[in-house]
Amino acid sequence: MKRGGLLWSWLWMILGILYFFLPLLATFMFSLKALKGVYSFKAYQNVFADPKFVTSFSSSVFWAILTIILGIIVFVPTAYWVRLKVPQLRSAVELITLIPFVVPAIVYVFGLVRTYSHPPLLIVNSPGLLVAGYTILSMPYMYRAIDTGLRAIDVQTLTEAAQSLGAGWGTILFRVILPNIRVSILSGAFLSFAIVLGEYTLAQYLAKPAFGPYIGLLIQNKAYEPAAATIISFALTWAAMGILDLIGRGRQPQLVGGH
Amino acid sequence: MTHLTLSNVSKEFSGTTVVQDFNLDVNKGEFVSFLGPSGCGKTTTLRMIAGFEIPTAGLITINGEDITNNAPNQRNVGMIFQAYALFPNMTVAQNIGFGLRIRKESESVIKDRVAEMLSLIHLESKAGSYPYQLSGGQQQRVALGRALANQPQVLLLDEPLSALDAKIRVQLRSEIRAIQKKMGITAIFVTHDQEEALSISDRIVVMYEGKIEQVGSPFEVYNFPKTAFVANFVGTLNTAAAEVIDPLKGILSMDGVQFVSAENLQVKKKGDAVKFSIRPERFSFASEVKKENVLDCTIENITFLGSVVRIRVKIGNTKFNMDTFNNPFLELPKIGDKDQVTCSREAVLVLDD
Repeated sequence: MKRGGLLWSWLWMILGILYFFLPLLATFMFSLKALKGVYSFKAYQNVFADPKFVTSFSSSVFWAILTIILGIIVFVPTAYWVRLKVPQLRSAVELITLIPFVVPAIVYVFGLVRTYSHPPLLIVNSPGLLVAGYTILSMPYMYRAIDTGLRAIDVQTLTEAAQSLGAGWGTILFRVILPNIRVSILSGAFLSFAIVLGEYTLAQYLAKPAFGPYIGLLIQNKAYEPAAATIISFALTWAAMGILDLIGRGRQPQLVGGH
Repeated sequence: MTHLTLSNVSKEFSGTTVVQDFNLDVNKGEFVSFLGPSGCGKTTTLRMIAGFEIPTAGLITINGEDITNNAPNQRNVGMIFQAYALFPNMTVAQNIGFGLRIRKESESVIKDRVAEMLSLIHLESKAGSYPYQLSGGQQQRVALGRALANQPQVLLLDEPLSALDAKIRVQLRSEIRAIQKKMGITAIFVTHDQEEALSISDRIVVMYEGKIEQVGSPFEVYNFPKTAFVANFVGTLNTAAAEVIDPLKGILSMDGVQFVSAENLQVKKKGDAVKFSIRPERFSFASEVKKENVLDCTIENITFLGSVVRIRVKIGNTKFNMDTFNNPFLELPKIGDKDQVTCSREAVLVLDD
């Protein structure tokens, strides 16, 4: 690469880093000013002392894990089947997965409340509805990540090879397909995790404990604690995703063929 | 003894017939190749035997058992693919043992069988390697070991050598044939490469537009093609149009040049238009004296092909290829020279309509 091109690359990278980290740094600096005239972790102490913080954050982590599990259960077989048996429907299915980008969350949650708040589908108070809602919200990320993973492997030939060796659908899915798209599932899982951690509308209107509504409440009543809670949630989210990565990644199979 | 039978098998896709009235009996331990151009239905037929496609009509049996509508995992048929299809997340040993684990064989049986297969494919040292760490030829040998580990009733090979370079291809096809013979397994091999089919098969099924054109040993298919398609597709061939002059004596006339054929032309009448063929290697220069078919010619072109020299000659108004073995001391004619070539009566094959 030419020297000028390299300089431009560095410039854009530094600008990108500043764009991402400056607001975070500003939030962090602001969170340290709870005591007048000195930098302190007072706001952090207050946040950790609040039992609602632990409850809401752990609830959101729990919802996020359930969302990821449900997403894998629903989207892996769907994307696999579409690729294998009805590839002509791929564009239609991709379009459907983009609906959460088009329908605002508030419209979506009122739709859920109206549909599921009277018999025979009276499940508006069930945590299952919240998880199902989150699964739909994270669908564009989860489905596309899985579909990208499937695109990188020869789904049809691997399936037929496994079938010719006596494998049924369950074995093919769990022992052949899933292990080979693990990284794609992980990237979808990270995005789902981040979305659920920061989500406000669904949890607020379905009246479930979650981190988004907690931050919202904190902003209304406190000055420095919301900034501290944001920094803590940022660190915890990255830590949780790191743990997820450690658990899920293992040895990733290389998909490139022979030499 | 017939092991695999296909009776009146047909397959349609959206109203288009891709395989039509396919009939074939394959004996136990036989190596049969399906040979034909792209789109002739050879792979579809193989996939119907594997169970990946269900015939629109007809019957497929293995050992007398009707498997026409069985699921692929209920057939005990091994399959080898052009793209190897090894499971990227598994080592060589795990790939080979996959089918045995599905069958819930004991660990000791799996261990022994995997070791046996690794020895068979000469990859003992690669048991712990992943597919991406192997060359294409090694990957295909693992695929062979994996398919054979299950002791399938029939081994299906779908253009397994197409993705390999020429040298490995020749080496691996010999290995496949040797292993197939050693294990006595019935094998169906799909290829569009006639040299591959001729070199490896007990019998060849030549297919064209969904139909069988000819079934026979490589010797029969090459030397005695029954149709113009087989004659043209298998090997290099000269074909020309002629007129029957004397059906009893097998005399034909092409542009006024007479050819004598050993074939029985009694069903033809004098003046009938026919097509005949002559393999390039059946021509020789007329200095090697022959009684019939001494033909005046002009040398049009000379191509050196390594072990063979291909000479293009013009007989009458028609151009023919003539192959002669390369010999460093061979005195080749020059382009434009007038010469005489000859071929035996048996070399002149009159083709079916």
